[in-house]
Amino acid sequence: MNRKVFALAALVFALWLPQLWAQQVQVEELVLENGFKLLLVPRQGDPNVAAGWVAKVGSANERPGITGISHLFEHMMFKGTHTIGASDVEENLRVMERMDEVKSQLFEEERELIRRLRLGEISDLKDPDNRSPRHQELLAEFEELTKKEAELLVKNEFDRIYTQGGGSSMNATTNQDFTLYFINVPSNKLELWFWMESDRLLNPVFREFYAERDVVYEERRLRTDSTPTGKFREQFESMFWTSHPYGWPVVGWPSDLDGITREEALDYYALNYAPNNLVACLVGDFEIDRAKELAQRYFMRLQRSKRDPEPVRTREVDQQAEKRMVAYAETNPEVEIRYHTVAAGHLDDPALTVTGALLSGRTGRLTKSLVLEQEVANRASAFQRGMKWAGYFGLGAVAKPGHDPKEVEEALYAELEKLKKEPVGERELQKVKNRFAANNFRRIENNFFLMIQLLIAEANGSWQSFNENPKRVQAVTAADVQRVSQKYFKPEQRAVALYYTKAAEGPEDPLLAGLSQEEKNMVNQIKSRVAQMPAERVQMMLSSLEAQGDSMPEPQRKMAPIIKKMLQERLEKLGKEGGQQ
Amino acid sequence: MNRTTDRRPEAVNRKPQVGMRPKGSKATGTPFQSVLPPSGFRFPVSWFASLALAFCLLVSGAGLLAAGEESNDKQIPAHPKEIAYPALDYQPPQAKEYRQVLDNGVVAFMVEDHNLPLINISLTIRSGAYLDPQGKEGLARMVGSVLRSGGTLKWSAEEFDEEADFLATNIFSFGGSTASGATLNTLAENLDQSLKMFFEMLRRPAFQEDRAELYKSQQLQQMERRNDRTSSIESREWGRLLRGSDHFTNRQPTKASIESITAEDLNAFHRQYYHPGNFILAISGDFESADLKQKLEAAFKDWPAGEKSPPVPDFDHTPQPGLYLVHKPDVNQGRISLGHLGIRRGNPDRFAIDMMNDVLGGSGFTSRITNRVRSDEGLAYSAGSRFTVGLHYPGQFRASFQSKSSTCAQAAQIILEEIGRIRSEKVSQEELDTVKTATIEVFPRRFSSAAAVAGTFANDELTERDPDYWQTYRDKVRAVSIEDVLRVARQYLDPDKLVILAVGNVDDMQAGHPDRPQYSFSKLPGGSRPATIPLPDPMTMKYPQQ
Repeated sequence: MNRKVFALAALVFALWLPQLWAQQVQVEELVLENGFKLLLVPRQGDPNVAAGWVAKVGSANERPGITGISHLFEHMMFKGTHTIGASDVEENLRVMERMDEVKSQLFEEERELIRRLRLGEISDLKDPDNRSPRHQELLAEFEELTKKEAELLVKNEFDRIYTQGGGSSMNATTNQDFTLYFINVPSNKLELWFWMESDRLLNPVFREFYAERDVVYEERRLRTDSTPTGKFREQFESMFWTSHPYGWPVVGWPSDLDGITREEALDYYALNYAPNNLVACLVGDFEIDRAKELAQRYFMRLQRSKRDPEPVRTREVDQQAEKRMVAYAETNPEVEIRYHTVAAGHLDDPALTVTGALLSGRTGRLTKSLVLEQEVANRASAFQRGMKWAGYFGLGAVAKPGHDPKEVEEALYAELEKLKKEPVGERELQKVKNRFAANNFRRIENNFFLMIQLLIAEANGSWQSFNENPKRVQAVTAADVQRVSQKYFKPEQRAVALYYTKAAEGPEDPLLAGLSQEEKNMVNQIKSRVAQMPAERVQMMLSSLEAQGDSMPEPQRKMAPIIKKMLQERLEKLGKEGGQQ
Repeated sequence: MNRTTDRRPEAVNRKPQVGMRPKGSKATGTPFQSVLPPSGFRFPVSWFASLALAFCLLVSGAGLLAAGEESNDKQIPAHPKEIAYPALDYQPPQAKEYRQVLDNGVVAFMVEDHNLPLINISLTIRSGAYLDPQGKEGLARMVGSVLRSGGTLKWSAEEFDEEADFLATNIFSFGGSTASGATLNTLAENLDQSLKMFFEMLRRPAFQEDRAELYKSQQLQQMERRNDRTSSIESREWGRLLRGSDHFTNRQPTKASIESITAEDLNAFHRQYYHPGNFILAISGDFESADLKQKLEAAFKDWPAGEKSPPVPDFDHTPQPGLYLVHKPDVNQGRISLGHLGIRRGNPDRFAIDMMNDVLGGSGFTSRITNRVRSDEGLAYSAGSRFTVGLHYPGQFRASFQSKSSTCAQAAQIILEEIGRIRSEKVSQEELDTVKTATIEVFPRRFSSAAAVAGTFANDELTERDPDYWQTYRDKVRAVSIEDVLRVARQYLDPDKLVILAVGNVDDMQAGHPDRPQYSFSKLPGGSRPATIPLPDPMTMKYPQQ
C-alpha cells in the first residue's frame, strides 16, 4: 500500500474534519400555544415538500391486554374523518355504534370459548361447531352491519384525496416509542397537508375497525408467523427484556389483536394524540412564514389534553444471569448476542456507537477476524441501539458451514475481550470517525430521510440531538471505547440466541434414527465438516475413532458408527475423484 | 409495521433523492451550512450569503408563538376540494443538457448539484446473468461482487478496503440480471484518490482467491435456504411458470455451477464485458462538468472499447393456464399470484394499460383490488396488481396477495371478479381522473434529485428510449379515455390465460374457511385439476419426479 497516500489523506482529514462534523441543519422551531411543535427546514430544489408528524407513543406505552394497539391505531388513522370517508356520516356513526354493541356481546361468547379452551374442553376457538346458536346469530348480524357500513362509505377517501393531489409515499410506521406519519406533497399543495393532517387529528372516525384488525393480523402472519425466524426473533425479544414493555411485540400478541375494541382505541387517542404529544416536520420547497401561518390556522384547532401523557414507568430491572435460547429453524446456523446498555442520548451512547462501527463493515474487526482470518463465520456485525427508555448492544454472526454457532459465539466474546484489554489504535479509530463525518453529509442529502430522522430524534428526546450527536461521536476516545466495553459487556448482562438449521422435511436418514434432536444436529454439523476434509484428515479421524473403541463415553459411542460411515463415504468419494484426474 | 404502499411500482423512481437545483439556476443559500468558516475546503455556495441567511433563520426562529398574535380570520375550507392552490408549472429536464460524450465514446450524464460536498458516480455495464455460460450459472453476479471485494493488481483486497474506509469513500459493485454496475460516492475533496481506486477496480481487478472463496461459501450457504421462505419460492416458481425454466431468468446457480467457477472464468468474463464499449455513466454532485470530464478521460486513457455485449434474449415459452400449488406445511399464510404475460416497450397502449391497472390494483388504496381484499374484507395486508412493460421480453400482468390459509380462495375469487368487472364495465370518470391526476402530479418526483436526473437519463441511454418520452409523458396520460381503459382491459387481460400460483399450507388453503364454504380452490380456473409443484433440491435445482 502506498504509505504516502495514506499520510496525505490523514493530513487532509486532520485539516477539515472539524468543519465536517460542525455541519448543522438549521431548523426553525415553532411551538403553538396548545403544545403542538413544528420543525421547519426550507430547502431549495425540486418542487416538493416532505411532510410528517410523530406521536410520541408506541408499544412501550401499552399494557397487557391491548398490546399492538399503537400499531392498529396507526392503521385507523387512514380511515377518514367526520368530513371525509362517508356519504352520510351520521348514519355511519349510528351503524358503527351498533357494531360495537354486537361486538361486545360477541366478546361475551368468545370469552366463554376461551374459558373452555383453557379447561381443555375445546381445541379450536374458530371452529363453528363450538359456537352457541346465539353466537351464530350475532355473527350474522355483524356481517349485515358490515355490509350496511360499506354502503355508507366513500372508500378510502382519505387516501384518494392525497393521491389526486399528487401526494406520494404516504405511509406510517409504529415502533416501541413512536408512531410516525409521513408523505411527500407537491410544493403547491402544502395547505392540503395542513388540512388533511389537522382534520384527522381533530375528527377521526375509526371505520372498518374490525376488518382492519384482521388486516393487522395478516400483517403479523406476513412478518412474524410465516417467516422462517419471525416467531423466534419475537421470543428472543421477549426474553431479553425482563420487566420493560419493550418485551412485547409492536404488532401485538395474537390474543390481544383478537380482542382490542374501538372504545379502547378512542381512549388511547384522547390521551396520546393531543397536540402536546405531537411534533410535525416539513423539509423542502416552502416558505417559512406561510407554513407558520397555516400551522396557526389549522393545528391550533386541536385541544391540549388536561395532562401530559406519563413517561413509561416500568424500567428494566438489572439482569442477574445470562439468558439463553437454542432454536431449530429453517435458517442458517447463526448466533445473536445482546447486552443491556443505554438509552439514546445517554453519555455512553456515542462510545458504544463507535464500538459498533469498529466491529462492523468490510474493515471492521469482526469481518477481519471471524470471517477472513479464523473463517468461522460468513458474516458478522455489531451495533448499539439506543431507544428512548433503554438500549442494547447487539452482535450477530452467521456460522460458516461446518462450524457450530457456539464456536462463533466464543469468537465474538474473544473480540469483546480484546476491546476490554487493549485500547483501539489511533488510525483505526480515526477511520471510523472519518466515516461518521462523511455520513453526516450523506444523511442530509434526501429531504424525506432528513424529515424522518428529525422526527425520530425528537421522539427519542429532542431534534437537537441530530446536530449534537456527530460532535459527541467525534469526541470519543480510545479510552472511552475501552471503558464502555468493560462496563457493559458482562456475561450476566446478556442474552444469547443460537440458531441451528432445522432438519429438512422428508424421509429421515436411517442413520440418524434413535438420536435426539441435538445429536442429529451434531451429526449434521460434523457431516458438513467432513464434506470438506482432505483425505489425510479423514484417515486420521478414522484411525482415532477406531483406536478409542469402547473406551468412548456413552453419548459419543452412539454416534461413532454414524461418523465412521460418513468418513468412509468421504474417502470413497475422494478416491473416485482422484481416479478421474 | 408499515401499511403497504407499493402504490405505483412502475412509475415511481425509488432512487435516493438529493436536493436538486435545475441546471443553470443560481445557487442560493441553503440552511445546510457549516457554522465555522471553511479552511482548506471549498464551499459549494457563496459562504457569506448563506451565513447571513442562516443567521436570519436563527433569529427569527424565536420559538413560542402565542395564539391570537396572528389574525386567524382566514377561513378553513369545509372540504379540501375547496382549497385554492397556487399554480405549479413544471417542465422536466432534457437529457441533452446533461449528456456528454467522452473522447473514448462513453456517454456520461453529468448533473451538478453544489448543495453538499459529495460526488456520486454510477456506472452501468452491459453485463449480467444473461451472459452466464451454460454450467457456469452465477458467474456474472460473482464477477460483479468480487470485483469490489477481491482487491486489484495494485492493492490487495485488504489495502483497498482500508483505503476506501479511511477516505470514507463508498465503492460498490454488483452483477445483475440484464445489467450490472458499480458506484462511487465520495467527498468532493477526495475525488482524485477515489476515482483512482474506482478505475483501478474496474480495469485491474485481482479477484483475490480468499475473497472469491468467501463469496462462494456465502452463496452456497444462501442456496441451502432456497426453500425456506414462501416469498422466495413464490417468485421462483412464478418466473418458471411464465417464462419457462430454460430462460436465463430462471436458470439458477447450483452448487456445481458455483463450485466450477475458476479464477480464469472470472478474468475472462471481466475482459470480455467490462470495458468502455459497455459503459454508461450517471454522475451527480459537487463538481464542474468540464473538469470532471477531463479527469474521466484521463482515467479511461488507453483502455480500449471492446465489442458491445449481445442483446438480452427473449424466451420461447407459452405459459400454461391453471392452478399450481406448492406445499409448505409450517406457515399459516398463503401467498397467491394470478396473471399472465404482459406487453413490450413501444406498445402504444401502455399509457391506457397503466391507467387501467391503476384502477384495478396498481394504485394502492385508490384501486379496486386493494379496496375489496384489504379494506372491505380484511383478508390481506397487501393486495394489488402490476402490469409491466418488458424491454427485452414481454412483461407481465400479476395480481398478488397474502392471506391466512383459510381465506386464500376467497381473496383469489374477489380478484377474478375484479378482472371480470374491469373487462365488462367502463370505469367511472372519477376513478380514471384520480389515477390520471395522480400520475401527472407525481411525475416531477422522477427527477427529484440530481442523482435521479442522471440515473433516469443514463437508463434511457442504455435502453435507447425515445428522447421525447418524458416531454410528452403527461400529455399521453391526459389523453387516456374511459373507452381506452375498457378496450385495453379486454385486449390485454385474459381470464382464460390466467396462471394461478398458491404457495403455503396446501391442505389448509384447500380446506377453505368453515364460515364461507362458497369459496374454494376447486372453483378457481383450473381448480378441478390443480398441478402440484414439488420443492427442488436447493443445491442442484433438480425437481423430484412426480
